Amino acid sequence: MKLSLTARLLLAGSVVLAAFLGVTGLTLDRAFSDYAEQSLQERLQAQNVGLIAAAELDDNGTLHMPATLPAARYNSGSSGLYAQITSNNGRQRWQSPSMAELHITLPKDIAPGVRHFERLSFAGGELYCFSLGITFDLSEATHEGFTFTVADNMAGFNEQLAAFRRSLWGWLGGVALVLLTVQGLVLRWSLAPMREVAEDLGNIEMGRHQQLEGHYPREMRGLTDNLNALLASQREHLDRHRHTLGDLAHSLKTPLAVIRGELEKSTPAEELPAAIGEQVRRMGEIMDYQLQRAATSGRLPLSAPLSVTAAAHKIVNSLNKVYADKQVECRIEVDEDANFHGEEGDLLEVLGNLLDNAYKWCERRVMVHAALDKQRGLQLSVEDDGPGITPQKAEAVLQRGVRDDSSNPGHGIGLAIVQDIARVYGGKLHIEKGPALGGTRITLLLPHP
Amino acid sequence: MRVLIIEDELPLLEQLRTRLKQEGYAVDSACDGEEGRYLATELPCDAAIIDLGLPKLSGIEVIRKARAAGKTFPILILTARSRWQEKVEGLEAGADDYLVKPFQMEELLARLRALVRRAAGWAQSHITCGPVTLDTATQAVTVNGQAVELTAYEYKVLEYLMLHAGRVVSKSDLTEHLYEQDYDRDSNVIEVFVGRLRRKLDPDNRYNPIETLRGRGYRLTLERTSP
Repeated sequence: MKLSLTARLLLAGSVVLAAFLGVTGLTLDRAFSDYAEQSLQERLQAQNVGLIAAAELDDNGTLHMPATLPAARYNSGSSGLYAQITSNNGRQRWQSPSMAELHITLPKDIAPGVRHFERLSFAGGELYCFSLGITFDLSEATHEGFTFTVADNMAGFNEQLAAFRRSLWGWLGGVALVLLTVQGLVLRWSLAPMREVAEDLGNIEMGRHQQLEGHYPREMRGLTDNLNALLASQREHLDRHRHTLGDLAHSLKTPLAVIRGELEKSTPAEELPAAIGEQVRRMGEIMDYQLQRAATSGRLPLSAPLSVTAAAHKIVNSLNKVYADKQVECRIEVDEDANFHGEEGDLLEVLGNLLDNAYKWCERRVMVHAALDKQRGLQLSVEDDGPGITPQKAEAVLQRGVRDDSSNPGHGIGLAIVQDIARVYGGKLHIEKGPALGGTRITLLLPHP
Repeated sequence: MRVLIIEDELPLLEQLRTRLKQEGYAVDSACDGEEGRYLATELPCDAAIIDLGLPKLSGIEVIRKARAAGKTFPILILTARSRWQEKVEGLEAGADDYLVKPFQMEELLARLRALVRRAAGWAQSHITCGPVTLDTATQAVTVNGQAVELTAYEYKVLEYLMLHAGRVVSKSDLTEHLYEQDYDRDSNVIEVFVGRLRRKLDPDNRYNPIETLRGRGYRLTLERTSP
């Protein structure tokens, strides 16, 4: 199963957030511990300077420390502050009283002028030591090197660092939690229209709605509008099929009734084939017409515009073959931008039926014309130089459709089919005397989609 | 005339075979696309009637393959679907005419006659060479306006010679186009028919309408006078 959109966004957000907060936390932690260590060093250096100032060397080379030490903490073992002075030959010269209970060797023998920091671990914890090597001049010729070491217990330092870390990570964690919650809420709000579409579709499935009812944000409107158009066209199709099926069944009943009548009234045997044959022919035509109607797709959403030129050439090439004996001259005058918005089969059906009639009735010449009118839409006309048609008859042909075309097998079913397609596309059909060739001109007007 | 019918609906195929034979055609038939394609590319047909909805290989494919193999005989397609899209597809593939089922047999025969005549280069249904006129629609023959009674086989031979007027037609051409596959080619029945035709068309020995070119065949010597 694929991860849901919410899960994806939350997952990606969490990873980014964790990385950002993690790096921030580590940087702050590092900066703080560096700073704390530096201030500890400064403190120890100050203590060391105080110790050096307090120490006095007499002419015999004996080291004297005052009774009152620079810091009171040197006196108590539990204070955690220690000091030690050693000669650079390794001899210990002085220890603070606090060192009495400390069994640890502090650094010594540091070369004069060198500053030495060191961390020492022992049973009771950790010491931070600072040792400084210096030289005392005993006389012009004799010098003696000493190492002054001050050490402080790190318990305080460590505790301070731990407290800082606790509060740092506590805050960062809290912020992360709040941000994730906010992100989750934002996602829920942003993706709400998706859930609405799903819900709407569910309603359509249940038959409660005919189309997507909600108001959707701009980004989704392309999707929802097209979905609605698709639904509408599906519905239209279904309706048409249902009607066609009904019409087919009903219109077949009449010829069937006639046949039954002929059989029941005991028509002479030699007349039966003619009587039944006529009805069979009629039934064939009815089926043809109704099947065409059912096959008409109508305007489909998401369909690319079709070039009328290409379709007209296809039909004309075909008809030139079929009517080869007639040597018809067909002119195709179709504008390049004359496009048909619909199904190719419907366009071929319109052109095929109109041109087939024209080829049938013409003397020699036929003309196809198509142009795009900005206001009125696609205008498609087929004209021939045949005997032409009177306005009354034209009206009758259009009115009658396929119901009763036995008197005029030429202009019957084909025109009825074209008229039906025109209706499905919201267009109109005109029959008139052709202005250019003098025969019949049939014009189909299809409005813009 | 030799016609190939490719149709998978056996009752319809049988009707077509019977009727076309009655009309004097030599008929070969296939009931699926594969066999049809084989016959269409191998037999010397004068025309083919092909149903578009065939098993194994569609009618459209059969037409395309026959045309690709250089076959130029006219093809009439039969289709149950009356949409133009399908008709156009068939005609673009190389067919010459179409009929939508159900059709009337007379209509089919008229279309077939017209296709064969047109393929031989005649524009009208009356074809005239010198004094002889042949109405392909009614199969009536006149010489100088006088009706001549011909048997079905005599008519077939004359029609073939007239459609190909001026050209040499070999004896094997005639047997191939007038008889079905299993016909005995060695028999001299063609010579008999040509002899009878000569007597009927030219009882007074004036035109010598059909000349014999020894070892090559026959030629209608009369000049084409109709378009």
